[in-house]
Formats: sequence, C-alpha cells, structure tokens
Amino acid sequence: MLRHVTRKAAGWLLMIVVATNATYFLASWFLDPRSNFKELRPVRSEAQIDRALAPYNLDPTVPLVHRWWDWFTSVTLHFDWGKSPTGVSVNGEVGYRALISAELVVVATVLSVVIGVALGVYTAARQYGWADRVSQAVSIVVFNVPTSVAALAVVFVAIWLNQHAGLHFLYVAGENSPDVEGLLPTIGDRLLHLILPTLTLTLMGYVGYHLTQRSLLLDTLHADFVRTAQATGLTRGQAIRRHALRAALIPTAASVAFSIPAIFTGAVITETVFGWNGMGRYFIQTISKNDVHGTVATAAFAAALTAIGAILADIATVFLDPRVRVS
Amino acid sequence: MTLATPLLDPVPPTDATPALSVRDLRISFPSEAGTVEAVRGVDFDLLPGRTLCIVGESGSGKSATAMGIMGLLPPSAELRGQVLLGGQDLVGLDDPSLSKIRGSSIGMVFQDPLSALTPIFSVGRLLSDALRVHQDLTKRAAWEQAVELLDLVGIPDPRNRAASFPHEFSGGMRQRVVIALAIANRPSVLVADEPTTALDVTVQAQILEVLRQAQRETGAGLVLITHDLGVVAGHADDVAVMYAGRFVERAGVGELFRRPTMPYTARLLAAVPDVEGGARKPLVPIGGEPPTLVNLPSGCPFASRCAVSLDACAHDEPKLRHVTGHGHVACLRAFEIADGTLDPAGDTPPAGQPAAAGRAEAAEVALRGEVALRGEVVLRVEDLVKTFPVTKGALLKRRVGTLHAVNRVSFELRAGETLGLVGESGSGKTTTLMEILRLGRPEAGRIEIAGTDVGTVPSAVRHGQLRQDVQIVMQDPLGALDPRMPVFHLLAEPLRAIGRDRESIRARVHELLTLVGLDESVSDRFPAALSGGQRQRVGIARALATEPKLLALDEPLSALDVSVQAGVINLLARLQRDLGLAYLVVAHDLSVVRYISDRIAVMYLGHIVETGDTEAIFNDPQHPYTRALLSAIPIPDPERERTRERVVLQGEQPSAARMPAGCVFVDRCPLYRSADDELRHRCRTQRPEPTPAAGRPTHQYACHGI
Amino acid sequence: MTTNASTNAPANASAEPVPRAAGSTRKRTSLGLGRLYLRRFLRNRLAVVGVVIFALLVLFAALGSRFTSRTYTDADFTALTQQPSARHWFGTNQGGNDIYACAVHGLQRSLTIAVSVSVLTIVVAAIIGSGAAYFGGRVERVTLAVIHFLLIVPSFLILALVSHRLAGDWRVLIVVLTVFGWMSTARVIWSVSTSLRERDYVKAAEFMGVGPLRIILRHIIPNLGSLLIVNLTLGVVATVLSETALSFLGFGVQTPDVSLGTMLADGAGTVTSAPWLFAFPAGLVVLLTVSMTFIGDGLRDALDPTSVTGSAGGRR
Repeated sequence: MLRHVTRKAAGWLLMIVVATNATYFLASWFLDPRSNFKELRPVRSEAQIDRALAPYNLDPTVPLVHRWWDWFTSVTLHFDWGKSPTGVSVNGEVGYRALISAELVVVATVLSVVIGVALGVYTAARQYGWADRVSQAVSIVVFNVPTSVAALAVVFVAIWLNQHAGLHFLYVAGENSPDVEGLLPTIGDRLLHLILPTLTLTLMGYVGYHLTQRSLLLDTLHADFVRTAQATGLTRGQAIRRHALRAALIPTAASVAFSIPAIFTGAVITETVFGWNGMGRYFIQTISKNDVHGTVATAAFAAALTAIGAILADIATVFLDPRVRVS
Repeated sequence: MTLATPLLDPVPPTDATPALSVRDLRISFPSEAGTVEAVRGVDFDLLPGRTLCIVGESGSGKSATAMGIMGLLPPSAELRGQVLLGGQDLVGLDDPSLSKIRGSSIGMVFQDPLSALTPIFSVGRLLSDALRVHQDLTKRAAWEQAVELLDLVGIPDPRNRAASFPHEFSGGMRQRVVIALAIANRPSVLVADEPTTALDVTVQAQILEVLRQAQRETGAGLVLITHDLGVVAGHADDVAVMYAGRFVERAGVGELFRRPTMPYTARLLAAVPDVEGGARKPLVPIGGEPPTLVNLPSGCPFASRCAVSLDACAHDEPKLRHVTGHGHVACLRAFEIADGTLDPAGDTPPAGQPAAAGRAEAAEVALRGEVALRGEVVLRVEDLVKTFPVTKGALLKRRVGTLHAVNRVSFELRAGETLGLVGESGSGKTTTLMEILRLGRPEAGRIEIAGTDVGTVPSAVRHGQLRQDVQIVMQDPLGALDPRMPVFHLLAEPLRAIGRDRESIRARVHELLTLVGLDESVSDRFPAALSGGQRQRVGIARALATEPKLLALDEPLSALDVSVQAGVINLLARLQRDLGLAYLVVAHDLSVVRYISDRIAVMYLGHIVETGDTEAIFNDPQHPYTRALLSAIPIPDPERERTRERVVLQGEQPSAARMPAGCVFVDRCPLYRSADDELRHRCRTQRPEPTPAAGRPTHQYACHGI
Repeated sequence: MTTNASTNAPANASAEPVPRAAGSTRKRTSLGLGRLYLRRFLRNRLAVVGVVIFALLVLFAALGSRFTSRTYTDADFTALTQQPSARHWFGTNQGGNDIYACAVHGLQRSLTIAVSVSVLTIVVAAIIGSGAAYFGGRVERVTLAVIHFLLIVPSFLILALVSHRLAGDWRVLIVVLTVFGWMSTARVIWSVSTSLRERDYVKAAEFMGVGPLRIILRHIIPNLGSLLIVNLTLGVVATVLSETALSFLGFGVQTPDVSLGTMLADGAGTVTSAPWLFAFPAGLVVLLTVSMTFIGDGLRDALDPTSVTGSAGGRR
C-alpha cells in the first residue's frame, strides 16, 4: 500500500517537473518582459532594457537554455523561483497567495464533492420524482452559466441583501478587512470574507458531481448484484445504500483529480471578481506584466494541487475498491 | 468418482399443501412498440421438496415469471394475479413487507454469477449480512454460520475463503456462493433462473448437484427455469413448457418426455440434438419464429408454426385442459395427440413455411454419414504453440509468468470434412482457431492452409489468396454484424476488400442470399430487424462470399434458440456437401458437435487429450476427461438421464499459467485417484504422448492410465 | 455525464426496439430508423424548446443587424451609459456603443467560434481517440500519456499564456481553443472505442481482410455516432464557457472586436449602476448554452437505444 502510493507520488512528481519546465519554455516564448519598458518615459535603449532585466535572469540576449539552466538550478537547489521583471521575489509573492488560494480551492472542492455526491445519490434514488426534476433543472442551468456571470450574480445578490436586509457580513471584495486585530477576530473576519467566493466556486463545482454521480448510481441501480441484495431481503432503499452506493462512488473518487484544474480556472475568475489576491489573480497579473517566473510558479502550483488531488483520489479508490488492492 | 442419480420417488400430489401457488399471473411492460404482454396468465402449485422446471425459448416469459414471483420486476412493469406463499399473497405487497419475505421464505439463484455478487464486499460479509437481515445474530455468530454455508455448498477451505472477494472466485465457485445466499435463511421456496447457463458443462453438473443438495437440506420447493431440455429431464418432477407468455403444457417429467402432447413441445424435442441417442436421428427444425408479445393476435400463438393446426386455432386461444393420464395441455387437438391418433409433427406442413425445405435438408443429414467425401488436405496444423505473458502492475507491467494457451496442438482437415474442437472454456480451443485465422507466423509449429505454409509466405499472399481461403462464422450473430450496415453492405464488404467491381458484387450478394435460403428483400434491412436465425444465415453468407475452402465456426449455434438451431445445422450440412467446404468447429456443446462433425478433438488446458472419428469418441471414449465431459451433458430423456453412470469431475480446470509437469489433467483425474503409486508417479512427472486406441489407428488419446 | 447504459432487461428481452414488421419493403427500415429517432427526440419537450431557442438565437445573430442602422463600432456621444430605450433597445455603454448592435455582433462572433471549435475538436478527438483504441499497444500508451499529461497541466493557464500573445484575432482563438481542448473528448471516445475494438464485427472485418483505415472509418466511427453528436453539442457549450472566461480575463477576443465574453467583462464593473450592460450578454450566453444542453440531452436519449427515457414512456 505504502509502496504503491510512493510509486504513484514519484510518477506525479515527474509529471510536475515536466509540466513546469514545459511552461517555462512556453512562457519564455510567449512573454516578452522588454515590452514592459516600451511605454516608460524617458525612452530607453534596447541595451538599457536588457541590462535592467539581466539581474533577474530575464536578459533576452542570454540564450534561453542558459537562462533555463540558471532558473532550474536555483529552483532545485535553493527552491528559489526567481524574480519578476521589476525585481520582486516570486517566492515571497507566492508564499502568502498560495495559502489564500489553497484555502479557497480546498474548501470549495470539499464542499462541491460533498454536496454534489449527496445530491446525486439523493436524486438518483428518487429518479423522476419532483426533487430529482427540480434539482436536475437547477443543475443544468448552473452548469451552463459562465463563472463570471455566476460570480457577479452572487455579488449582485449580496449587495442587495446587504442593502435591503441590513446584513453587513457579506463581503464582496478582498480576503480580509484591514483594521481587524487579535487572533479570533482575524479568523472570524477571514471566514466571513471566504463565504461569497467559496459559494461561487462551490456552485460552479458541485454541478459536475451531481450530474455524474446521479447517472453513475442510476447505472449501478440496475446491476445484478443490487437485485441479489434485494433477493436476500433488503428493501430497495437498503440495497441501494449498502450495495450500489459504494460501488458507484469509486469512479467519482477517481475523477476528483481531473476536476481540480477546472476549479482552479474557476478560482482565477472568482478571485478577479472578488478582488482576492490569490494565485489566480496573481497568474493574470504575471501574464499581463510579462513575468515569466511568476507564471511558471503559478503553473507549478496548479500542477501540484492536481497531483495532491490525484494521490488522494488514488487512496480513496484503493480504500473503496477491493479489486485494485495490491496484494 | 461415479454416481447414478435415481429417479425421485413420486410424491403423492394430493394431501400436501403447496409451498407456492401461482394463480393467473400476468406481467406486462411498456415499450416503444406498445405494451409487451410478457406473461399472460400462469398457474401452478409447487409442493415442498418438489422441483418444477419451467422451460421455454428466449422471450417466452420464463424469466419474467421468476422475477414476478420474487417481486423484483422493474417499477415500470405491471403485475397482476396472485402469488401465494404460505397462504399470503405477495402481489400488491409494498417493498418493506416483501423484503421480510424475500430471503427468508423464498430465495433466488440468478443466471450470471459473475455480476450477481457485490464486488466490494467479501463473500463472508455478503453471507453474514444476508443472515442478519432476517435473524438476530451477533456478527461473530453470523460469520460462523456463513463459513458453514460455504462449506455446505462445497467451497474448499471455507474459513479462509470467506474473507475473499467475489472477483477472487471462478464462475462456478461464485454460483455456489449465490446458492449459499439463497438458502442462508432456509427458505421454503427456491427460484433458480437459468442457474447454469453461463457455466461449463462439467461445472454445470456440479452446480445442479449443489442445488439438489441445498434443496434436500432445506426441504424447499424449487422452481428451476431453463432452456435446456436435458437439465429438465435430469432434475424436474414436473415440467411446464412456456410459449408466448403462457404455459402450453404442464405435466410430470416422465409423461412429458414419453408423449409430448402440445405440438410445440413435440417439435421442440424433435429439434434437440441428443448426445447419446445411438445413431443420429435427423433434426427437424420447427420453422418460423416465436411471435413478439406486442399486440398478439387472437388465436393460438403457435398456430402459424404448427403442422396440425385447424381453422379454429386461428380464432380461439386454447386454455390449459386436463388430459387424463398426462397433465395439462393447451391445444385443441390434445386428446387426439394424447391417444396417439395424431402425429404432432404432422405430415403436411402449413402453407408458406420453410418446414418442407427443412425436412429435405434433414434427410440429407441422415445420409451424409455414409457419403465419405475426403478431398485434399485444406488445413494442417503441426505442434502449434501459443503463449501469453502474465503481467502484474498497472503502471510498470512486469511479467510474472507465462500462460500456455495452446501447447503442441496438431491436426489436419480435408475438404468436405468437419473437425470439432471441444473442451471447456479456457481449454485453448478458441485460441487455436484465432491463431489459424490470424494468418501470422505461429510462435512455434506450422500452420499450412491449402498446401501453403502460412509462416513463410510473403504478406501479400497472406492478405490476398489465403484471406479468401479462410473465413469465420462467429458465435453471436448480432455482435458479428455491424448494426449500422444493411445486409447488402455487410455481404459486399468482404468482396470489396478483395477488389471486386460493383456489378459482380451485386450479382454475388444475390447469389449468396439464395445460397443460405434468405429472401432478396432482407438486403435493405439492418441486423436489428432480422430474427436470430436470419442473422446467423447472413453471417454464414458473408463468410462464404469469397468462396473460401475452410470455414471456421466459432460456437455457431450457442446463441440460437433450440427451434432455430436445427435449421442452421441442416443448412451447414447442405452447404458443406454442395460446396465441398472444410469446417473447423469450436463448440462446448458436445451434442451439437456430434451432429455436424466427422472427427472430434477434445482439448484440455491447451492440449488435445483425445482425437478420433465422432462415433468412435462417442461410443467408446478413452480418456477420462472425455468420459467425464460426455457424461456431464444432460440428455433430454428422463429415463436414460437418471439411470446412466456418471463421471463427476472434482474441482475446476486450473489456470494455464501453472501447468503441471506431467499430465495436465492430473488434478481432476478420477483414474489418478484410484491408481497405484507407480502410475501416479508417471502421471505427475511425464506428459503422456498420443497413443492409438486398440484397432483404431485414427483414434488417439493421451493417458498413462489406460 | 456518462451515457446511461442501463436497461431493464426483461422489457428489452421480449420487445425489440425496432418493430419487426416495419422492414418488409425496400428502404423502409432506414427511413423507419430515422423517423424513430425523430419521434423519440420530439417526445422530449425540453429538447424541442432547446431547438426553438437555438434557432431564434441563430436568426438573431444572422439577421439582427437588419433592424438597426448602427454597427457595434459606432459611438453615440449624445447617449453615454443610457438605459434601454426606443432609440437604443438594449441601452448604451460608457463609450456610447449601442448594446443591441454589440450583442448581435458578439453573439455572431461567439457562435462562430463555438461551432467551429466544437466541430474541429470532435474531428481531432475522434481520429486520435479511435485510432489509439484501434491500434492499441505502443500507439495507445503514448497517446494516453500525452492526453493525461495535457489534462493535468492546467490547460487554461497555457491557453491564457498562448492567447495573450497571439489572440485578438478570433481565428487564432479558434485554433488555440482546439489545440488545447480536444483531450477530454478524445479520452471519452478512446474509452468507448476500446470496447468497440473488441466487438465481433470489428474482428470479423479484420478476418475478411478489411484495412485498418476502413475499419476505423466504416465500423468504429459510425458506431460512435450518437456519442459524437452529443459531444458536438456539449462541445459548443464548453467552448462558449471557455471563450467567455478567456475574454472576461482579457485574453480572448480583443478590442475593437466584440464577443459575448468581452461584453461581460465590460459590464462586470457596473453591475449595480448599469446592469443592462451585463444582463443582455449574460442572458444571451445562458440561453445559448442551456439550449445546446437541452438539445444534447434530447439527442442522447433519442439516439441511444438503451436509454431508459426513450423506452419507458418519457420523463418530462
């Protein structure tokens, strides 16, 4: 078991390394830090610009392979992810943003899975009942709403609530308030700020789980072994809960990993709308500022999140399915 | 180990109270085409300890009847009538009340053991859960009882095996677990829906024995649903023949087989190949197809296929009537047939039916034993070997062993001749066939087709002439025909592949349809719109398109209903005679093989253990495996089926990945058990070479013990 | 959403979906099959609603510009940030652009992108997915490794990275979205094709000497038919959503060109003060995606012979 997980983790690490390095080359091709200086007055010469970029390992006159090698060694030896074109340390930026983003993504993922699966199971057992029809209709509409529209709708409703119902704990901007002090108030304040973006991300994320879990369970409901369970004296409901459900959860557990990139994408837009300084927003900023190193660090972060999700999904699958247990 | 199954003592049917009474059971399903009347009024009583067999072809409503009794029909189905179990009517009960009865008073054994067990629970957990549903037991006590149940149904080492998961058991062992689940709470009624259809014959014999023992142990009445008249003959006390959703004949097993009275029953029995019937009797196909159960017209549903139907049969559907000294029969002419004044097969077939053609073909089959057409050698296989690597691990596959699927197999086949490869699943017969069809260089040994060594010729020849010479007819005609192509294109495809032009393709397709007895009008239809028999005829026509010399038949009949089988058997015989084809048949059903083969090769674990002329093998089998295989096949005749000597094999065919050093059959061999030490040593260490039987040079077997 | 492969066995065992009597004369069966699909599709009321909405949207995109003299680039400086009125049906934005004209053009742009990307994606995915499944062995393993790798790399980030430099032009956007969007569909097609590869009729074709390309084109891809059609409609939805997301973040279609996504981005800042800037494009996007989903659902139910809905009397 442990060996299995270690082997898998090693495989993922390799994936992350390859993905990150590929992104480095892509970013170096597509982002041009020199263009940041084009707008500046007084106008600087090409050489001046290159000289300004040189300390940050961004000098375009240095061959790409050399730059890559410097970057790669500093990442592997010192875990130093480099500097932005303006000289800001990527490590420092990523450090606190990663926490903010992880907070958002992890909570939203857990909520999405729990709500989506529960809803899928509940409605599959009541196929074509009113609860099934209503939630199915809601989910289909939500499934089709772009994240940006959903996020803004949430903002709109929150502002309306704040104005009309006299609520003041729904914060539509930022991850915390500037003037809160003390440990408990800080935590409370952060949690309140978390409500709306998490709500948005959960709304975008639960739908997939609801619809797949529902159809997976519906498939399993007709399996022969559910009928056998009923023949031993279980009611249909008991047979579904004890026999069909666990079997139907296995593919969902395996799919969590592949859904994390989608949640991260959702997080990019959600952070933009709610003004959170997380990794998503950082990513937008680094691209528009032609910050090669920042972009690569974000990609590595996203890949790492995916890998963690995949390993957790693997462990869950092994736990749920005796057929894949390694003897 | 040999044992004979005696005829059960006839239980006096008068004073005992039935364990289960079914009254006017009706089941219907909604469908695209309209309401399907799957079951249209079924009545029976089942006494404790007795076995009622419900026999019928696919679509006759027998499985729906079983599900209706259990209350396990899909919600869209409509169920009417009465199902009285211990005086309580189960129809109309809600799910919670029904669940108190299911598993405690009535248990069920399902058809497919591979999917019937929840994959994520150990079998011990499944069994103790089933016990704890109805009994107030501690977990430990339930587990103990589960182990006992596993022991009862013959699972070796039950204490350790209880912790294993279903996927770690073979099909036969899983079916034993399903039976253990069904009898866990000692029900008074057992329902078994085709419990052995998915299993090999030797395993089938074991499972039926377990079922019989379970019945003895619990004293339950058994409703056994099957399509196999041999199983009926061996296990039924009473038989109900089902056709188009109703019982058309219900009688004691002896009476039914002695004088089948409903014309359908009589024709069905005449269409079944018999493995032990002495000389080959000609098979008489019924002709036509069973009706669909949507908007069934009035009148007897069998009338259009019946040889002795009257005008009145088209108007009124006859009810089951008591026929003195026999049972109940739903036929207007039952009394005439019962007293022997009318032959239910009739002399004049009804107009517009192909029965006449079928009978002519049947006559040819009877003849062909005498016409010894021995042409040139079409296929020669020498020392053919095929192995598969056994790998483990998902990411990095590493090889942990070798599966010897085919091991030094040799045989030859001449034009106009049929060789039957028989054996249980996993014996390597299909792999042998596929190796020949692949037309590649074999791993070891030689394959020669029409004098050409397949391994040495350039690939252009391989894909040209050789491809045309060898063709295949597959098991499941529906699966073998692309559902999105009409018949014309299906038949044109092999011709197009060899580059024929449009005109000659058109002409050839027409020719092929005529050859297999299909009407021109089917050429625009899709496979889904054809009947089972028609589809298999299309499959045969397609194989014949390129005028092959050798036709490989992979279980060509096992997907077909009995009444349709006979027609295809006769067609194959006629085609062979007219076209001088060589057939290589792979089949597990020996009784069918006997009807079409000139010679037989019996395979076990990748080896041919016995080969010889069909009659020699059937009349005087030498190898203990052949004997066991032959005796495991149920014969559709209760007298003979219950009195004959049986060789019941222990255990199941082991995996070909762990091949014994000596004789491959040694683990299950009855001779080995009774052998002395010297012989045992030889059996364990030396692989036996083929030896000719006394006085018959072509009849060879590989055994040290004879 | 996986296809619902379950079926109630007893019902299907005794009644074949195609009535046997229907094929008695020439050409009846193929026609009958088409009519059967149509009947099953029309039975699903939401799917019909979807078709109607989608048709209206297409009409609006194609003919909407006839009802106004303004184009999306014209600025009316006498009417900045105006509410919807008789003069400007959907109102105007901060620059005085007529939102109605913008919406017509944006919908046109978004529709073109979505349909082209979806079609291209299906073609690429079908070829790669079924090819990998049919050839098996090393080809299959390498293809799957690539697909898995691309699925795990946050492709959205790469999309943003690439389109940031190249986009602005909607034609480039089509290429970029296709290049990074085919993987998940290909994976679905691959997994279905692996089961098709084992079908007897594919083996039969091999034994008849039919070449690999012909087997893929004649036997595998046609039998993926319903899956491809359903994925085509869902692909439109997915493309609209990613185009919107990209444009919203400023990486998609660039000014002066307009798509529904850029309109959403422009309207986002004034949701409370000038909601019409946001409401009209948002409404159009949702109508477009929802109608496509309904159509896809209806097609799946109609084309999948084992679908419970099709045979059990309909659900909605």
